[in-house]
Amino acid sequence: MIAFIGKRLLGLVATLLVASFLVFAVTEFSPGNVARKTLGPFAAQESVDLLYQKLHLNDSLPVRYVRWLGVLTGVIADPLQDPALKLDFKDPRGDRYFGNFGYSTLYKLPVNDVIWNRLGNTALLAGISFALIVPLSLIFGVLAGMREGSFLDRTISVFGIVATSIPEFASGVFLVAIFVVALRLLPGTSPLTTGGGGWSIASQFVLPVAVLVLYDSGYVVRMVRGSTAEVMNKPYIRTAVLKGLSFKTVVWRHAVRNAMIAPFTVILLQINFLISGVVVTEMVFAYPGFGRMLLEASLFGDIALIEAATLVALAVATTTQLLSDIGYALLNPQIRVA
Amino acid sequence: MTDYRDNEHIKTLARDLSEKRIDRREFVRFATLLGLSATTAYGLAGKITGEAFAPAARADALPKGGTIRIGNRIKEIKNPHTYSWGGYDSNMSRQVVEYLTFTDEKGATHPYLAESWTASPDLKTWTFKLRNGVKWSNGEPLTADHVVWNLKRVLDPEVGSSMIGLMSSYMLKDDPTQKDAKGNPKQVLWDANAIEKVDNSTFRFNCKVAQVAVPEHLFHYVMAILHPDDQGVFQVGSKGTGAFELTEFEVGKKATFKAKKGYWGGDANVDMIEMTDTGDDPTAAISALASKQLHGLVFADPLQYDALAALPHLQLYSVPTGETVVLRMKVTEKPFNDVRVRQAMRYAIDQGPILQVALHGLGREGQHHHTSPAHPEYAELPPFKRDLAKAKQLLAAAGFANGLDTEIFVPTDLPWGQVQVESAVEQWKEAGIRVKINLMPGASYWDVWTKVPFGSTIWYHRPLAIMTYGLAYRTGAPWNESAYSNKDFDELLTQAEGTIDVGKRREIMAKLEKILQDDGPLVQPLFRDTFTFMDKRVKGFSMHPTNYFFGWKVGLAEA
Repeated sequence: MIAFIGKRLLGLVATLLVASFLVFAVTEFSPGNVARKTLGPFAAQESVDLLYQKLHLNDSLPVRYVRWLGVLTGVIADPLQDPALKLDFKDPRGDRYFGNFGYSTLYKLPVNDVIWNRLGNTALLAGISFALIVPLSLIFGVLAGMREGSFLDRTISVFGIVATSIPEFASGVFLVAIFVVALRLLPGTSPLTTGGGGWSIASQFVLPVAVLVLYDSGYVVRMVRGSTAEVMNKPYIRTAVLKGLSFKTVVWRHAVRNAMIAPFTVILLQINFLISGVVVTEMVFAYPGFGRMLLEASLFGDIALIEAATLVALAVATTTQLLSDIGYALLNPQIRVA
Repeated sequence: MTDYRDNEHIKTLARDLSEKRIDRREFVRFATLLGLSATTAYGLAGKITGEAFAPAARADALPKGGTIRIGNRIKEIKNPHTYSWGGYDSNMSRQVVEYLTFTDEKGATHPYLAESWTASPDLKTWTFKLRNGVKWSNGEPLTADHVVWNLKRVLDPEVGSSMIGLMSSYMLKDDPTQKDAKGNPKQVLWDANAIEKVDNSTFRFNCKVAQVAVPEHLFHYVMAILHPDDQGVFQVGSKGTGAFELTEFEVGKKATFKAKKGYWGGDANVDMIEMTDTGDDPTAAISALASKQLHGLVFADPLQYDALAALPHLQLYSVPTGETVVLRMKVTEKPFNDVRVRQAMRYAIDQGPILQVALHGLGREGQHHHTSPAHPEYAELPPFKRDLAKAKQLLAAAGFANGLDTEIFVPTDLPWGQVQVESAVEQWKEAGIRVKINLMPGASYWDVWTKVPFGSTIWYHRPLAIMTYGLAYRTGAPWNESAYSNKDFDELLTQAEGTIDVGKRREIMAKLEKILQDDGPLVQPLFRDTFTFMDKRVKGFSMHPTNYFFGWKVGLAEA
């Protein structure tokens, strides 16, 4: 087991290295230049060129990548913090330490001062949504799957398909129109500050969580339903029924555990979606989260922030994958981690 | 200081007004420009025309207390002297640091930190007197030394402030003995005494050439007067002369301002201003206003208009402006080097429907000469009407009897500008002009905006049309994106810039406008009105053509 986890961690580091290089390479081909975006459309070309030089953007791709790695691992000092450049980039942690993600050209702050707060906000939104998505999907998925073709199954399935097929920006606007404009029960945006209109922080979570739960559980319900229905057709279930066990016992003792194996992976994959895929919901509700930050950083070409966000998102993805492999083995003793 | 009655220019203006060659608004506009306080100017106008002047509602009539919440984009605000957008960033620092002059929504320039100013008859020497009793937040009084430090700083090319674009023609010269990074001569003050401290509360501009718009330039959003100790940096805790202090700031999230005791203009009505970032999605701002999380927006987008107009607790504020998107043709590129082609492009356009489609009618029709009825020197020409037959005839004469194929570059960061291009393209089709639309992200467009043969460029409002002309159409100007060069135009423009007599200046403007209509590089279907929505509880607000928000002007009534 320990060897397995160790191997996985090595794999993680390799993945992060490759991915971080790819991000550098891809940003190279994205339009516009950071210096122009920093100074705005009406700045003189000379000022733009000067800033371009100061930001060391004219160095070759490998040079910039290796420098970024060096700064991240604390081997070299961040050249952008040099006071002689007059960029006014200051990091209270110093210019040389392990885990230095560099300086965000978009927010004009050390990446470490931007990213963790945003990640925390999104983790909160994702955590609440996840805590609702899992039980709801399991309950409705099993209810639908245990009697395939029943009225209950049809109802849940139709509802699930409808919920999943409405994109978040549409369901967000519908919910706002009903609960904010017409009924005036809830706040329309979630800046996570109190005061504006007297809405509590808790009330600001209701709509974004509702949008995410609707969109995502529709999909997971379908997965759980499919898996349960498949298990219900297995010979061992028929045997259990013929043994004279009650339907409840059959479902609960024999079907559910076996039906969970496939959806387990899918459910853990939702964590990845909830960390970096919530950007649409965050935009609709002006939620100060990780997805919105990543989108803004990408549009701006803020390479330090994009890199940091990519690494975090990848680390989350790899960790959930590891968890799902371990959980898989626990659910199905036939599978061994090795 | 000389009495205003001795000022030749003011005498000319007064004569113009009494002979009804200008209206009262223009009189006030130009008289304030020459250093008369607005109150005196209004009073004088009343004396000349016999109309009484009603003073604006006094600030103490407004409700006191409360926190006003405004939707804005919380962008970086560290360096006011080098801001490049104005709309978002300067509306934050504006609450804390102030300007020497104040141009109101009608175009009249008032005293602000400067209490009064006078111009010499040749318009080359401008003397400004600072207001008494203005104090920084640390209690120190504002002095001419502080102001001179700010003026010298923005005129240093190494700082990179856009004040250089406005002032270089009359304040700077090339110094061949010094080179910049690219080996070009460095720009320095044209004379060591160009910015002169006269005494502790008086300073003077000694200009190289006549300039009529010095007070306007001092209200440009980068010209905030900062405390020299702060080294040009603005952040939480920075000193300011304004009615508020910045207490909290987080990019992308929010900025908080607390009213300061002992503000020279009398304490602000509201206790706090809170600005919240609602992001790129225009629907988020609508939702925030609907649930009363915000009291208003610094400015609204035409896309938000219908939804906001449907909310009964909101009030619309709008003002006509000189803001426009020009479809400009580079006169050095084929086929636009042929003046007949440029004319045909204009004759194929019907402005009315474009105004409806692009702006829901929230604007004015343009006459293809980039001077708006919102400008004081606007000269009305006969309406420029669509004439398809003429367009086709001009094209045929230019050798495009079977029509013309070309391509226009359009940035996607301005939705209504994009819609304008789409409807213009439909209209051009009927004249046989087939235009392909090449959409590109805003950031990429701004890398090439002065280079593309045919492009769609936004020009914001400026208080005087001659300011835009000088930036965009004078031969060789850095922002002359169409490479337009016309000797007659340049000469007339210089003449207009030194002419204070409104009647004469308008005659020159009429010629300038006509040159652009006949020969110019632009198709310009409309001017937009800027607008916003505020909760009806917000009192004392008025929309500014450049979207400026002033916290000290507003009060918040009980819910």
